[in-house]
Amino acid sequence: MESITVKDFRCFHEEQTARLAPLTLLVGENSTGKTSFMAMIRAMWDFAYEHRTPDFKEDPYDLGSFDEIAHFRGGGGGRATSFGAGFFFSPEGRSKRKKGRDYWFDIEFERRGTIPFPMRRRLSSEDKSVWVEHRVMNGSGQLSLGTKNGEWLLEDVFPVFLGDSDQVVPFNFILDNVIGFGLLSREDEHNPSVLKKVWGSNKPSDDEWEYLNDIYESYRRGWFSREYMYASAPVRSKPKRTYDPSRPTRDPEGDYIPMYLASVHFRNEREWTYIKDALQDFGKEAGLFAEISLKRFGKTMSEPFQLQVGRFGKKSKGPLHNLIDVGYGVNQALPIITELFRSDAPPMFLLQQPEVHLHPSAQAALGSLFCRIASQGKKLVVETHSDHIIDRIRMDVRDSTSRLKPRDVSILYFERNDLDVKIHSLEIDENGGILNAPRGYRQFFMEETNRSLRL
Amino acid sequence: MCAIVDANAAHQVFGENRPSAGVEFFNWISSGTGSLVIGGKLREELNQMSSFKEWQKEAILSGRVILAEDNIVLAEAMNLKNSGLCQSDDEHVIALARLSGARLLFSNDYKLQRDFKDKKLIDEPRGSIYSTLQNRNVASTHKNLLRKNVCKK
Repeated sequence: MESITVKDFRCFHEEQTARLAPLTLLVGENSTGKTSFMAMIRAMWDFAYEHRTPDFKEDPYDLGSFDEIAHFRGGGGGRATSFGAGFFFSPEGRSKRKKGRDYWFDIEFERRGTIPFPMRRRLSSEDKSVWVEHRVMNGSGQLSLGTKNGEWLLEDVFPVFLGDSDQVVPFNFILDNVIGFGLLSREDEHNPSVLKKVWGSNKPSDDEWEYLNDIYESYRRGWFSREYMYASAPVRSKPKRTYDPSRPTRDPEGDYIPMYLASVHFRNEREWTYIKDALQDFGKEAGLFAEISLKRFGKTMSEPFQLQVGRFGKKSKGPLHNLIDVGYGVNQALPIITELFRSDAPPMFLLQQPEVHLHPSAQAALGSLFCRIASQGKKLVVETHSDHIIDRIRMDVRDSTSRLKPRDVSILYFERNDLDVKIHSLEIDENGGILNAPRGYRQFFMEETNRSLRL
Repeated sequence: MCAIVDANAAHQVFGENRPSAGVEFFNWISSGTGSLVIGGKLREELNQMSSFKEWQKEAILSGRVILAEDNIVLAEAMNLKNSGLCQSDDEHVIALARLSGARLLFSNDYKLQRDFKDKKLIDEPRGSIYSTLQNRNVASTHKNLLRKNVCKK
């Protein structure tokens, strides 16, 4: 995902597009739609790549029902009858060796009962000159294909996709068939009457079919990779004195982290050494802990265990303490840093306020960690109020501490503007300066500084 | 819109007992309407002033101050010095304007003002001068200068 577009979604009325870089920081006052924006990224990802109908009530984002999600202006403005979102994907954004075609993926949601339902889905080329669209209209589906040469309805070919159902037909399934149909229709000897009925006197050119096929191949790679994203909750789980081993299933609060670490510790020594070293390195850099360890009560793997951390003194190693007996910051940071270090880490992270309970030096260390992880091909979207994180990222980019370049960082500033919110895309330059800052950006901080200096 | 403040005029923008024209200029930057470009020798000179040094930390984070690469500014200033085109000894200020595109200069130095308005040194658009030599209080000329788009893209 290189950019996200939203329209009539929560506090975003006008259609606006925000750039997503390998490291994207969401900043702005409270209640300006940062979490909603993350929820939409997750929804788009689920729908495009995991073929799940977006659930806007799934943890860690509970946006409510259609009435809470569609933009509401109050008074005569009323509530929007639909809302939309889309994303732009460029293979170039993923690797320097560009393979495949850029494409847009757009969805429009309308009310069905109390929930938002994807009534229109469209995959289109970068210039939007070639597209396939599935739309539900008046209780039945409509599948169409469009190019510069015209627009064709494919309902006679694929009646199976046209029924009205609460279950959304996976778009990949639809596209598979459209592309197959395209291949078939290009062979004259297989051109039955139904094809002539669809195309009429005109049909997409071979070049247009090739183009569509290339876009489709790009899109296919996304779901074939079976990638998922990790979305953290703003407040992580409370630690326990002891844990009973259980299956470590990912959750936004990070409840599973002790179980995951225990599972790795007891089953895979190599992986444990790797993740332990990575956690300890970060722990030292952030001043949180120098050692992490598991203490098992009993001889079997099913016995309870404790998660312990220790600090090093100036000359000697300090004692280990139960996680519950050390500062809350360690416990709040651990789920996020563990998830970032996992060898099976997902390609995309949505992190809400990772700085919670952390000392500024640890927040700055998180900033450096984000730069490192983002420069290794992962995509991080971080909602933060931490100057220490942003400032460290700014300096690390300037000083080339990681491989992250200025262009690899996007700062999205969410600014309230009367009843709506505008998203400003800011950038960092090679000298660590902030580019494209609008007037309101950090105005509060600027005024506090001026007052402090009596300026 | 971006501007440069000459070190000799900095106390009128960031110092105590500022004239109202200096306060107007400061507010223009601080509100985010305009921005200030610093880099090279000028950055060192401005940093001698403690209030500026403290203020710029937040101003950089807020995008009010644009940082030019020190080494590139120093090299351009050296080239200008060797060319002999400047009448003032403030090649570093002219170099900064040429590199950053800033076309508004707050300065009360006559020689630097002449250089800044010299078409051979700064052009497309030409440089404008914000000064308190004629009037320390805010005048319409000051306000007009801050309203114009005075930064080369």
